[in-house]
Amino acid sequence: MKKQQKTKPNFSKSHQLYVKRLKKDKFVINFFRVFVLVAFLGIWELLTYYKVLDPFFVSSPSRIFAQIGTMAQNGTLLTHSWVTLYETLIGFGIATAVGYVIAVLLWWNEKVRKVFEPYIVVLNSLPKIALGPVIILWVGAGTSAIVLMCVLICIVITIMSMLSAFLAVEEGKILLMKSMHASKLQILFKLVLPSSMPEFVSVLKINVGMSWVGSIMGEYLTSKAGRGYLIVYGGQIFKIDLVMASTMILCILAFGMYYFVSLLEKKYNPGAKS
Amino acid sequence: MKNLLTFKNVNYFYQTKNDEIFALNNVNFDVEENSFVSLVGPSGYGKTTILSLTAGLLTPSSGKITLDGEDKIDIKKIGYMFQKDFLFEWRTVWKNITLGLEIQKPKDKEEKLAMAEELLKKYDLYGFKDQKPRSLSGGMRQRVALIRTLTMEPKLLLLDEPFSALDYQTRLSVCDDVYEIIKSEQKTAILVTHDISEAISMSDKIIILTSRPATVRETLSLNLEGTSPLKKRETPTFASLFDHIWRQLSNEETAKNKT
Repeated sequence: MKKQQKTKPNFSKSHQLYVKRLKKDKFVINFFRVFVLVAFLGIWELLTYYKVLDPFFVSSPSRIFAQIGTMAQNGTLLTHSWVTLYETLIGFGIATAVGYVIAVLLWWNEKVRKVFEPYIVVLNSLPKIALGPVIILWVGAGTSAIVLMCVLICIVITIMSMLSAFLAVEEGKILLMKSMHASKLQILFKLVLPSSMPEFVSVLKINVGMSWVGSIMGEYLTSKAGRGYLIVYGGQIFKIDLVMASTMILCILAFGMYYFVSLLEKKYNPGAKS
Repeated sequence: MKNLLTFKNVNYFYQTKNDEIFALNNVNFDVEENSFVSLVGPSGYGKTTILSLTAGLLTPSSGKITLDGEDKIDIKKIGYMFQKDFLFEWRTVWKNITLGLEIQKPKDKEEKLAMAEELLKKYDLYGFKDQKPRSLSGGMRQRVALIRTLTMEPKLLLLDEPFSALDYQTRLSVCDDVYEIIKSEQKTAILVTHDISEAISMSDKIIILTSRPATVRETLSLNLEGTSPLKKRETPTFASLFDHIWRQLSNEETAKNKT
């Protein structure tokens, strides 16, 4: 009864038609989303089945699923995925937290900000992968090098985006806080940080993508396990099934992480379309 | 009646890298307690500079400002209302209203919270207490902004064109509301406005400023009949006052364009 009241208020016929059309549009979009994926996999499978494409070079969906099945059986599916996920999450966490704090410090002190501005711009344009050999020298080969690569790739963009969000807070609102006799710390915590929450969520979204780039780059450089390791390894021994299967698992993991962040977006930035 | 605010020979220069702008030139005026004073004048730095000086956000280059008998301005005695409402979208109406109390943590916080609740009830906003500002209309938002200011129990309210962002209809009714609130709470207020009729309909005194460097050109004491700004607009002297101020200001604009 209650549900009926909720879904069927006394709206006009044209409104009902409008809602119906909206629902239909949504269904069509979702249908075609799935359709594109199924068609892509289907065509890929057929082309390799009839040898139009050589599965040795491009693999095929059935081979990829078989590969994933084998990995699930021998336990490497979870172990290797976990290694990469772990590196990514740690790198993502450190880069976001440290970058955020640095942005706050730069917002706090204008002179310090002006001193560091050119360095941040230069660091941002530097391809971080160039630091690979140096990173291995500094922290040794292994997880810490991979995490550091991940952090370096994410941190600069975190600092830049958060700082510009902090500086974009309306001057009038700061004046309002000052007219209420607020201290700088109060202005920070009651105005600047909360008002930049939407930008923070978009930084998180950017960092999801960037941190995967970082951890895979790191694994390419130095690793004994992980999805990136398997991709390099599979490439070296011409086992494209392994490469493709690992790539597919990466897609799923990255999407999962992105999904969690977009849940945050709904909370802090309900106006945005994710 | 006692003077709450006095400006005595106040000068102010804005300093930039390439220039020094002479904003105020020997400004003298006073604001009596419980009165409503408007500042009108050509656009420029003058009016808002006077408000910022009064609030202690700027210090005069020379001259003396006395607030409530003291030379040093106590910002806690001032309530500032801006052109925009500057409500924080992530806070509820209630949390917006109590922002100042949260910042200043006064000893009589409980009493002030009770007063804030009273004000919300009195001005028909109590039902929206737990809603976010985006569900309010422009007029309601300005009323919330005013209550946020009043909750701090300031002695002097500074209104920096608080109605200019509203459409004409809302503007007239919010003007009435704000006037009524200020009068019934027995506050002293200084209004900066471009709108001559707004100034006439709300004020006990109008201070006309010259163009930059601003100085007081004329001070008009008004005593219009009528209980609300809307009613005051209907009084016979309204039009002649409007005409007088209009002439003064157009003279200023011509002088400004000549220089």
